[in-house]
Amino acid sequence: MSKSIVPVAVAGILCALGSLAAVAAPDWSKVPKRDLHVFHAGVTPIEWATKKSDHSGSAGMRKGETCAGCHEEKGALNFNFKRLADKELEPKGAPKTMTFPLGFQAAYDKDNLYIRLSFKAPSGGADKGDKDNEVKATILFADAKVPQAAQYGCWQTCHTDARSMPGADDKKTKYTKEGAYELVQWASKGNKVSDGSVTTERKMSGGGTGAKAEASKSGDTYTVTFMRKNPGEGKALPFGIAIHADNSHGRFHHVSLGYTLGVGVNADISAAKF
Amino acid sequence: MTDNDNRPGALAGLWATLRQPSSKYSLLTIVVIAFFGGITFWGGFNTGMEATNSLEFCIGCHEMRDNVYQEYRKTIHYTNRTGVRAICSDCHVPKDWTHKMVRKIQASGEVWGKITGSISTPEKFEAKRLELAEHEWARMKANDSRECRNCHSFEGMDVEKQKLRGSKMHKIGIAEKKTCIDCHKGIAHTKPKGMKEDDDE
Repeated sequence: MSKSIVPVAVAGILCALGSLAAVAAPDWSKVPKRDLHVFHAGVTPIEWATKKSDHSGSAGMRKGETCAGCHEEKGALNFNFKRLADKELEPKGAPKTMTFPLGFQAAYDKDNLYIRLSFKAPSGGADKGDKDNEVKATILFADAKVPQAAQYGCWQTCHTDARSMPGADDKKTKYTKEGAYELVQWASKGNKVSDGSVTTERKMSGGGTGAKAEASKSGDTYTVTFMRKNPGEGKALPFGIAIHADNSHGRFHHVSLGYTLGVGVNADISAAKF
Repeated sequence: MTDNDNRPGALAGLWATLRQPSSKYSLLTIVVIAFFGGITFWGGFNTGMEATNSLEFCIGCHEMRDNVYQEYRKTIHYTNRTGVRAICSDCHVPKDWTHKMVRKIQASGEVWGKITGSISTPEKFEAKRLELAEHEWARMKANDSRECRNCHSFEGMDVEKQKLRGSKMHKIGIAEKKTCIDCHKGIAHTKPKGMKEDDDE
């Protein structure tokens, strides 16, 4: 019995070390960090964001303006958080912390792209729909067929009829009308890593990124490091981040605006080559 | 003879009296009386007109006090860092006399609404909110947001000193010759549900 366990355990440890070695490959102390901010967006799906009577900034969006172009100001987000927390846009109840900073670092080598997120996940959420996971960190990468992906980030997957939206079908996941997103997620229970996609529906497996992740918690700060296949040098990947804090699920996350991540090219954020 | 038979004769007599030169009062007396009478009448008329422009008058009815006034009190037009307050009439009644008179005459129709109780309960008000708002938006659109521009103007606006999103949107607004109400619906009151999208994109 014990003889059979030992090789398995050794193999497991080696795999874990291999995984850690791969994920931890960049010297993060030499990779520039940018503070992004994630926020509770309430019920503001793409239909809301692009409707003039709901969002006057939609006129700017139609002119090619990015969400961050108007709403990221002086190192923070300039949203009217009082409005976002109000019953109209958050009928269930807003979290106590509407926005928090998230350290973002990215680096790449010829095979992989590495992304490191560091953040303090706030408590005081209004929804605790995920009993299993205290925290989840998700990144979506849009392909070239997603319309205005560089402007809207994840919003092209966020729809008024998707689950956890008021009155929506609980079985309808996030989806895109055109194009596809790669989805990588780390969940705190069992350090589970998902490599999925969002097309006509969201799938938590079957993705092509080869995603791996590791996470640690120091004090109240989480550090989550993702490794995925290098999408190809010379690409600027539109992406967005979601943090589900305090056992939240569905739309009760804190999300980033949309940015582009440059792999060997200039973009909103350029990954460091090592 | 009936009363009806007498009426044309009485009116004709009154008209004849009015046309008859005075034999009792001097021209000076008549001019002085007319002058001061005119001032009194005009002053009284304008005082009455201004009274109907006051915030207190506007919220004298519970329909305004309990609904739109409560919403307005939470907005920047009621309380702000500079202490400049725009009251109901600043936005909803023209400043110049001619347009003001036209608006006041139009507004007299609201008396009928009061009598019939068309918005007498919160439910009735909500049911009419969109229609009422659309009337006001149409008026503001047609006059190039004239009442907004009593205080705000693109000429006096330094968009570089504004916050980012306001600055970017105002640059678009200036370039596309937008008017204030194109974007600022709901700035002082709750936006109605079921708003139609504008056709002027």
